[in-house]
Amino acid sequence: MGRLSMTGMMRRSLVHRRSRSLSALVALTVSAAVATALLTLYADLNAKLHTEFRSFGANVVITAPASGVLPADALARVRQAAGADALAAEFGYAVANTDRGTAVVVAGTDFAAVRQLDSWWQVDAWPAANDADAALLGQRAANFIADERSVTLTFDGDPVTLHGVGRLRTGGDEDSRVYMPLAAFTRWTGVGPSVIQVQIPGGTATVDAALVRLRQALPGMQVKPVRELVEGESRIVDKTHALMYGSVLLIALTVAVSVLATLSASVLERRRDFALMKALGGSQTQLMGMFLMEALILALAGVAVGFVVGSAAAWVISEENFHTATLPHVSVLPLVLLLNVAIAVMAALFPVRALRGLQPAALLKGE
Amino acid sequence: MFFRLLMESFIRQRRRKMLAGIAILLGTTAVTAMLALATTIGDRIHKELAVYGANIVVYPKTDLLDVKIGGVDVKPATGDSYLHESDLKKLGTIFWANNITGVSPELPINIDATTAAGESVKLSGLGLWFHHALTRDAGSLVTGAPALHPWWRLQGTWPSETAGGRTGSEAVIGSALASRLHLKIGDSFSPHLPVADGNAMSQSYTVRITGIVSTGDNVDNQVLLPLAAAQIIGGLPNAVRRVDVSARTKPEDAFARKNPDTLSPQEHEIWYCRPYANSIAYQIREAIPGAQAEQVRRVEQSEGTILARISGLMWLVSAAALLAAGFAVSAAMATAVLERRREIGLMRSLGASKGAIALLFYAETGLLAVLAGTVGYLFGSGLAAWLGARIFAVDGSEAVLNPVLLPVVVALALIVAVAGSTPSIRAALLVNPSTILREDA
Repeated sequence: MGRLSMTGMMRRSLVHRRSRSLSALVALTVSAAVATALLTLYADLNAKLHTEFRSFGANVVITAPASGVLPADALARVRQAAGADALAAEFGYAVANTDRGTAVVVAGTDFAAVRQLDSWWQVDAWPAANDADAALLGQRAANFIADERSVTLTFDGDPVTLHGVGRLRTGGDEDSRVYMPLAAFTRWTGVGPSVIQVQIPGGTATVDAALVRLRQALPGMQVKPVRELVEGESRIVDKTHALMYGSVLLIALTVAVSVLATLSASVLERRRDFALMKALGGSQTQLMGMFLMEALILALAGVAVGFVVGSAAAWVISEENFHTATLPHVSVLPLVLLLNVAIAVMAALFPVRALRGLQPAALLKGE
Repeated sequence: MFFRLLMESFIRQRRRKMLAGIAILLGTTAVTAMLALATTIGDRIHKELAVYGANIVVYPKTDLLDVKIGGVDVKPATGDSYLHESDLKKLGTIFWANNITGVSPELPINIDATTAAGESVKLSGLGLWFHHALTRDAGSLVTGAPALHPWWRLQGTWPSETAGGRTGSEAVIGSALASRLHLKIGDSFSPHLPVADGNAMSQSYTVRITGIVSTGDNVDNQVLLPLAAAQIIGGLPNAVRRVDVSARTKPEDAFARKNPDTLSPQEHEIWYCRPYANSIAYQIREAIPGAQAEQVRRVEQSEGTILARISGLMWLVSAAALLAAGFAVSAAMATAVLERRREIGLMRSLGASKGAIALLFYAETGLLAVLAGTVGYLFGSGLAAWLGARIFAVDGSEAVLNPVLLPVVVALALIVAVAGSTPSIRAALLVNPSTILREDA
């Protein structure tokens, strides 16, 4: 009987004062939604930022020692040691003469891999994958080539004719080089790949771990991090992370306190109910339990709606900014639940404590 | 009468006013802090991105082709062309001169030298600025290679550019070279000067090592000298091989990629007056005779994306904060009015018009919003400055208070507070006063 009347009272209380329950529910939903959205974004932040830093290209360079060459299966070993999400491209270099007799560095590489790795390369057109004698001409190198359509290069007295598909602009060393497919390059010069550039997504710790694995996989080869990239990336990601952390705390705290203020005001308003129930023989504990239950129900409903709304908000923000989706993280749920329940409990308990000393008779008289 | 009511309401209902006030205060604090951070994040991240080095490179237009593999000159070019060091001060006169944050000229030379032990060695040297004023003006940018290469790690001190004059200089050497030749700080060597003007051979020149630098690239195998010293040793007065320039730029968009020479005069003007890397490079080409300037795409393109992503994130989170704070504040205002239904009922039964009551309530709300909003603005600005200083290196030039934010934040607080209390005021005014007065009795 006691249990039944409790649920009955609860339902009445929530339904009867519909507008007030609704505004409390909205407040708790907002706090849950904000917490969910920010925590979801925060959980994904590092991965997303590291993805953006991929545009800087290779952060590890593997070079064959001056006298030696890279092992034939070097690229496969690199891919295995560096992990599935690492990008790698191999390069072979030789000095050849152009049709005007100028010495130029010719690099053999895999265009498909380079296109992924070095996204900042500005080219007129990328060569087709099946084009065995395509060439990209660096913008400075192109000035020393008479015929840019059919480029004749001579290496060690051995000429080769490539068809130039376009110019390459980077503002770096690449501008002074001619790039061609690796297979044709090796066939022509007899020189194999001597450098592998690797892009390992992640901060200093991840890159360091990968460096150790790469050195084990390729003994005798020089494995060097590109220091400015690795350090810069870690620093910027860490700082952005700290900034987001500060923002998340600040916003969550603000919303929590505002919601707390609103809720406790609306509980305080019900001192008449409180007085009446006390006059009818309700004990302090019973009344507290009653207020608590009501607040908890609202808090749980707020979390349920807020999680959906917040996850959607995180998805939109992430899609808008990073152009990749952020899926809902169930792992943020406990924290959001904890926050909301804490708000609800405090909102229910503060006013009850304040009302404890009051005399029901005085309250009911309207004092 | 109206003002008395207004004043009494603030004095007598201190607790209620405080609740609504705290909600507004916290909301504006959070919003101000987020907006202040979002507006400065671009500059801050740009400073951090400086670790990636120069985003514009300048070299002679008539340059021969570099034959470099992995940073090493495979076939040292003969009869190189050079820029004039004396032309570099013109960088301080271009339209976007203030956006140039670093300039580092380079002059690679080959050094034949005798070590203190009498051993004859061949070294590859690099002439650089270390701490050099760009122009002779008092407020000139003081810049050099260390500023553009923050990842270089130095043991000892950078060479002084004035020490020694024409008879010697200071230098730092790369760590790989130092261990190969067993050189340490304090050692010195004597380079052979060129025989160009007959008596040069008789002159003795001593280079003293003041530091050992580790860079992680080919510079580890080189000797870094002040540019003036490299020009003497190389016999190349006033010569500079290439110049790295670091500039604050606007991320590239479709307009930036246009060829300025094909634009209409008006469009050309707009293009020229925007700090794109391309337009700054264009202005450098105009200012320095015989120079070719290019953006370093690896740095420039990637920096643009990173900058856009991080500041975009901050703006979106600020928007979320704005929305959440708006909700919280309007909920608090709604509750505050809801609580005072009896008061409204009483005033109406005493003959106050709906308009007068609404005006009273709005005046209260507005006053509260302006007061709490201003305090919140101060708190928020302080918080943002503190957070920014904790996370980013501060150079002391940033103002804590952004005056533009004050009206924005206070206006937002006003709008949200008024919007939040309107439904409750309307609802209370619609109900018959006797119903309100009776319902709780």
